[in-house]
Amino acid sequence: MPRSEPTSLPITTGLRRLLVGIIILFLLLLLFLPRQSQEWLGQVGGPVAMILEGPLQGVSSIQNSAKETWSQYIAHQQVWEENQRLKVEIQKLQGEQNRLREQAILDRDFEKLSMYQTTAPMTTLYARIIGRNVSNWYRAVVIDKGASDGVHVEMGVITNAGVVGRVVRVNPTTSIVLLLSDPNVAITGMIQASRDEGIIQGTPQGNIHMKYLPPLSPVQVGDAVVTSGLTEDFPRGLHIGHIKQVTKAATDLFQSGEVTPIVDFSKLEGVLVVTSFQPAISTEASSSAGTLPSP
Amino acid sequence: MRTALQILLCVATVVAQATFSSLLSLNNVYPDLCIILACLAGFLSNEYKGLMIGLTVGLLQDLLTPGGIGVNLILKGLAGTLAGLTTHTVSTVTTGAVIIVTLVLSLGSGLASLVLAYPPLDGSDTLHIIVGVLVPQALYNSALAAGIFLAIHKVQRSFGVIHFAQRGR
Repeated sequence: MPRSEPTSLPITTGLRRLLVGIIILFLLLLLFLPRQSQEWLGQVGGPVAMILEGPLQGVSSIQNSAKETWSQYIAHQQVWEENQRLKVEIQKLQGEQNRLREQAILDRDFEKLSMYQTTAPMTTLYARIIGRNVSNWYRAVVIDKGASDGVHVEMGVITNAGVVGRVVRVNPTTSIVLLLSDPNVAITGMIQASRDEGIIQGTPQGNIHMKYLPPLSPVQVGDAVVTSGLTEDFPRGLHIGHIKQVTKAATDLFQSGEVTPIVDFSKLEGVLVVTSFQPAISTEASSSAGTLPSP
Repeated sequence: MRTALQILLCVATVVAQATFSSLLSLNNVYPDLCIILACLAGFLSNEYKGLMIGLTVGLLQDLLTPGGIGVNLILKGLAGTLAGLTTHTVSTVTTGAVIIVTLVLSLGSGLASLVLAYPPLDGSDTLHIIVGVLVPQALYNSALAAGIFLAIHKVQRSFGVIHFAQRGR
């Protein structure tokens, strides 16, 4: 059976020709009647533009949001970098602040000692504490001044607050100071108010006792205890501490008391070694014997 | 070179004892790093090394303590020697052996120091020192020595080292 020709082909060809004709006519109209064609196109273009508006806005908003995201990312990146930089700077400044605070504390302590050194009626030598408790059986500190600085055994060691202890060993450039709370240290002291004398000695527990107080002494809790000046290491009147507790058993010949030291031995950083009971007379003597160096 | 390193170790230990021991203090009980070093030298090496390191660290410690020179020298030297002799009496030095021997040596050394360092004490003070300082300190020393001993063993194992030093038996 022979294959039949499609029936729509002549119609399509005709339509095509018609369409081509219309387009040519349209183009001719655009060419020769530009104003009218523009008006007409304008009327037709309005709804078409409305149709395009949606996708355009969509694409535009996507583009904008992409731009915004990108710029935010860039900004975040910059903020992050700045944050890191600021963190490093903060750490640096905190370190600096800590150093300055430490220096200020040292300066304050140094100033106190310096002021005391210039006004105290004796010649003293400033020394820094460089070690503590090298052995478990002594309460001692190591200072950075020794025989070459004029330190001798049995010299007294004080701060602006009061008595610290006594030098018991001298090396060429360092010395060992036994603290007042060590049982091996005993100095003469007296109750400031009543002028009653006794022996100040440390205990194995780390406390300080005042022994051999006269039985009739009116010593009371809170009384100040000072050095009596009878021994060669401390001049009279240096503060030792306050009476914390008074004890006298019925069978005891003497009274005794527990003393709260005026100096906190655990926080010592700088001390003064008493080199002479005579005050430094001249500037030269002062500079050679006891001027404080910068901390 | 090895001797120089050992002297440097002794110096570092004494300096650490004078500066950092307060950081290690528990209820005002300080570890005696010097006796720990002497004992460990004995345990990980031999009695001769224990003696030499004990003498060196003891001498350095004596220079910075108020007591007479010679007390720590003798005590630490003796502790190092006795710790070294332990290696002859047990086949392998274990952590348990380190704890027991260091405890005994610390107690002995502490008692000797107590007699030499303090003026005559009454009964209650002596009891306080023994119960409050001597025994806790010996326990602390032995625990610390055992910890360091274990750490050294771990390092030795990780590096494949069998002996800390040549044993001179």
